[in-house]
Amino acid sequence: MAQAGKGRLNYRCPSCFMRDLDIDMFYDKEKKEYYCIRCQYTGSEEDVLEKNEMVRFRYRAMGKRFEFPD
Amino acid sequence: MFAVNIIHRPEMVPEYSQKVTGQGKAEDMGDEGLLTESLDIFKTQQECAHKYGLKTTIQMTYASLFNEEAVALAKEHHEKYGDEIALSLLGLPCEEFREKYKTKDFCIWMFSMEDKKAIVNDVFEKFHDIFGFYPESTGSYYMDADLINYIKETYPSVKCAVATCWEEGPKAYHTCNNSWYTFMDGGPWAPWIPSKANTHAPAANEEEDSGIVAIPHLSRDLLACYDGNGSNFGTHPQNVLRGMIYDSKTWEYPYLYNLIDQYRYQARFNGDDAYNMMFVGPGWMNKMGRWEAPYELLLKSYDDGCRYYGKLKEEGKLVDMTMSEYADYYRSRKTYTVPEVALWKDILYGSEKQLFWYTDPYMRVGVNMDQGGAIVDLRPYVAKLIWPVGIGTEHITDASYPFLIQEKYRAGYFTHYAGEGTVRSAKVIHGKEEVDLCLCRTKAVCEKTEEGTVLTLDPVEIEFSDVTVKLQTVMTFPEGSGVIRTERKILSISDPDADIAINEYMVGCYGTTEYAEDMTSLELSVSDEMQHVEKIPYEYKCRELSAENAASVSCLLPPVDTLVSMEAEGNKKCGYVKEGYAFSPMFTLGYTGTLKEKEVFTTWLKLEKAD
Repeated sequence: MAQAGKGRLNYRCPSCFMRDLDIDMFYDKEKKEYYCIRCQYTGSEEDVLEKNEMVRFRYRAMGKRFEFPD
Repeated sequence: MFAVNIIHRPEMVPEYSQKVTGQGKAEDMGDEGLLTESLDIFKTQQECAHKYGLKTTIQMTYASLFNEEAVALAKEHHEKYGDEIALSLLGLPCEEFREKYKTKDFCIWMFSMEDKKAIVNDVFEKFHDIFGFYPESTGSYYMDADLINYIKETYPSVKCAVATCWEEGPKAYHTCNNSWYTFMDGGPWAPWIPSKANTHAPAANEEEDSGIVAIPHLSRDLLACYDGNGSNFGTHPQNVLRGMIYDSKTWEYPYLYNLIDQYRYQARFNGDDAYNMMFVGPGWMNKMGRWEAPYELLLKSYDDGCRYYGKLKEEGKLVDMTMSEYADYYRSRKTYTVPEVALWKDILYGSEKQLFWYTDPYMRVGVNMDQGGAIVDLRPYVAKLIWPVGIGTEHITDASYPFLIQEKYRAGYFTHYAGEGTVRSAKVIHGKEEVDLCLCRTKAVCEKTEEGTVLTLDPVEIEFSDVTVKLQTVMTFPEGSGVIRTERKILSISDPDADIAINEYMVGCYGTTEYAEDMTSLELSVSDEMQHVEKIPYEYKCRELSAENAASVSCLLPPVDTLVSMEAEGNKKCGYVKEGYAFSPMFTLGYTGTLKEKEVFTTWLKLEKAD
């Protein structure tokens, strides 16, 4: 098996992101999957994007515009 | 007035970029493609600011001083847009630097003092050779006191510096897979005048004045950044993307604008002055994209950030300044002892949590209204701690200002099964029932009065099995005193004859990280009403001392050169101290007393330099 590299974009591990850890994933061309070298997460690009939506669960006010009086 | 500093640096080998673009390649500091791309990013950033009518501070890096195009651009933009040409101590890595200093270190505060001086001389003289004058502004992520003092002494033209990054410490280290050694927790979040002794601790008078105005690296979210990775929550559009705080379909990020607006809001508590700083290194606008954000989104976010500042300027709500202009403005507006305060609310998580932050030359204090006004962070600036950093010192990388209370690193109210965490709160007691105010969520308002800064909390209701108590907390920070006065008043009580007791306490320790320090040099004292003093030298023996009507209770902390004490006024006051034990390496200071309807129990928490 050839060495892993980076994919189209430089995705972080969504599982580690949820524990406040930014860690780049590597891409396995043969399996067509990203994998984390720190934890056990593996997933396709589609799965990574889906999980990236999930990690936003804590930002409940992410889309809200607050008013602050001048 | 809301002032903004927008800072750009032509970094010829940007942090991140070199590693990201070089994936699968051997390191090449002189890669022509990398140099061209880096300069292009700098040009793009400058364009973004100028097209929205904003001036910038161009912080030339050492590497860029060897690049004719970068120098020519700086001169041109200074002439055309009024940008300041300054000098950064970031961006040191380049072939010339590596060859001369034989090291891969790049953070100026981590070098030996000998190297710091040599590098400062080198870059400042090179700058002078190129531009014909010495810079008025400089900076890095952190500037230690010895470094600032040396620069000011050798190059007195310097009056402004980027000198710390708010709450960048162990949390940032963990986020970066324990590989990012920037430990600088415990500093101010807004501009200040550093003392000669310790950069984080503001000067209390002219004698302590280091001679510069310091600005923070970015304006951070004072709630999100305290709890989570600081690098996701600041006036750095790509940091907001790093935190994934945007709609992945529309590429919108109202959070960035909420953050800017919440900083503007702080003007009402700070003599009509508010401040923002935006400083994005070119590595964050890499053509390859940054993590999952493509270049187009990186560019859009930076353009949007500048556009919003430009819009505020057009509306007369913002003044853009260069760093040196801001230093002059700051000096014209501030006195040494005037505090910087912030009443901050959650703008991201959808809670209604509110924090209050206070900084003056004697302390930095964090108060959490979600915990009934508990003090959850306390830094004894009054000690003006001598804390050299860099190779050859005791603190090679740890530039954080030590805490006495830090609820995230040392538990706070909640602990697992045993022991105590650091917090300053009170327990309200009736019979065998006890309620800690940490469990009474509330809100507060802040105002300036003749007595100082006053934080008035909304009353909370405490329900015991047979009686309900309505209690209000008012905290006062008298200017220039190092004292926090806390008043607890019972506004009403369902049974006026009920016995209500109060236990005002502070659980403390010292440190800069999550891990316990050796407490054996600490000494606890109780001074009775006749000023007779009894002491406990800290030996982890779980001992206690108390005295009815005590004049004061205190803890001496030699490792941080601090004496913290408490005094009280109220019915049946009794002062006490508690030694900790190995599983709970803390100390406790406190007073108990009793309260009836309309009565007040008052305590004063005081910080002093130990010697």
